[in-house]
Amino acid sequence: MSAALALTARRGAAGWRWAAPALLWLGRLILGLAIAAAVWEGAVLAFAIRPEYLPRLSAILATIAATPEAYVAGFLRTLLETLIGFAAGVVVGVLNGILFLRAPVLRDMLFPIFVVSQTIPVIAFGALVVLWFGNTLLAKAVIAFYLTFFPVTVNTLLGLQSVDPRQIALLRSFGASGRQLLLRLMLPAALPQIFVALRLGASLSLVGAIVGEWFGDTTGLGVILLQAMYTEQVTVMWAAILCAALLGTGFYAAVSLAERWLVFWGAEQ
Amino acid sequence: MSREALRGLLGGALLVLLWEGVACGFALPSYTLPAVSEILASIWVQRANLITGGATTLLEALAGYAFGTAIGITLATVIIVLPWSRSAILPVVMAVNSVPVAAYSPLVLLWFGIGVSSKIALVTLAVGFTVFLSALAGFDRVDRRSVDLLRSFGAGQASVLWRLRLPAALPLIAAGMRVATVRSLIVAIVTEMLGAQSGLGWIIYQAVVGIDFVGVWSAIFVASALSLAFFGVIGWIERKVIFWR
Repeated sequence: MSAALALTARRGAAGWRWAAPALLWLGRLILGLAIAAAVWEGAVLAFAIRPEYLPRLSAILATIAATPEAYVAGFLRTLLETLIGFAAGVVVGVLNGILFLRAPVLRDMLFPIFVVSQTIPVIAFGALVVLWFGNTLLAKAVIAFYLTFFPVTVNTLLGLQSVDPRQIALLRSFGASGRQLLLRLMLPAALPQIFVALRLGASLSLVGAIVGEWFGDTTGLGVILLQAMYTEQVTVMWAAILCAALLGTGFYAAVSLAERWLVFWGAEQ
Repeated sequence: MSREALRGLLGGALLVLLWEGVACGFALPSYTLPAVSEILASIWVQRANLITGGATTLLEALAGYAFGTAIGITLATVIIVLPWSRSAILPVVMAVNSVPVAAYSPLVLLWFGIGVSSKIALVTLAVGFTVFLSALAGFDRVDRRSVDLLRSFGAGQASVLWRLRLPAALPLIAAGMRVATVRSLIVAIVTEMLGAQSGLGWIIYQAVVGIDFVGVWSAIFVASALSLAFFGVIGWIERKVIFWR
């Protein structure tokens, strides 16, 4: 109730108040990017760095501008794989966390296996997954999923376990059912902890998607990277790296924004 | 033995049994899922090859781990000692870090060649980020008032760092170092798969190309065992060093 009131109050007051800091932040971001671009361009020119090590930023951007379709297609494909894998990993991770909380026996039995599963080099696993699922979008999403679900499981469990037992007892005494307890108290209380894992998973799922594409695909940022390596086109490689950076930062920022919105009581660390 | 450990062992044993049962019971072809016994037998047959490959991978991972840890902690210390450098170093680190490390591996292979050095460079990068970020978070965690108190007793910057910030940051640094153990081996193997002369990643790549999926699983088992051992050793050292937790 009080949370709902706080939310409406905040939304009402928000109006223009957040617009000014957001604009300021945007301005600083653009300024920072401009400075970075200038330093990059200047350093390459000043130290006469050979383009096979570090091409000029303008040369990289020109490469992208020359064939934008390939990069846009690769970007969207990798984004889709990342998102599907991430979403599946989050759902399974949160469900695992709830399951492990309810059934400690299962937790003790499965958790060590999960830990061991994370020591498997993702690329070797990728080879097997591509074999199992064929060279499809799904196979790449499975690899992204595999990297995401573990941190989400761990943090969901940690968050659920750290709920104040007195609060649980209070809700119980009001006759709250197990489901109400979970939805109204425990999951919201665990949310800050879960979001720590979501931010980590945002980066990891992108790694999974890119590495997954190395097993012979036709579109995707990973494919562009690998083909550029074989043909030794450093500029193309940097173009793909920039696209990956854009995708990674954008996704991370989106998750952080969702965190600000959902965890509005500001438990961020 | 504690109840958790027993249950863990039981879970592992059940998984192996289930795996063995599914693989043998349904007579799955080895390219779908080879039986555990088959994989273990293959590890024994290929032991010479796997030991050489594992040694190369471990060497790369350990060297990169050492460099990465040293660089990460040093960089975080520099930022703490020279506060003005934070706004210069941090954005650069964040920008480089925004790209998944795997995306750099083709580039690093072109720069350093397919020998051992390219793997060490990439492991250094991956470990360096992890340790740097956790070290910085640890140093920053110190209460401003505690620093002021020590200062008021005439403690110099070095002594504040050594006596206050480092002990406070060690648990977080150690947590970062533990995560980095597994990461170091995985990054080494990923880079080896794109091009190498030896190593577990190279063995996996050759097995994939040769459609030898028992071979892939054998190398996976060895890699997993190495990661767990490395993780265990660092965890053990952590418990010895950070006794006050």
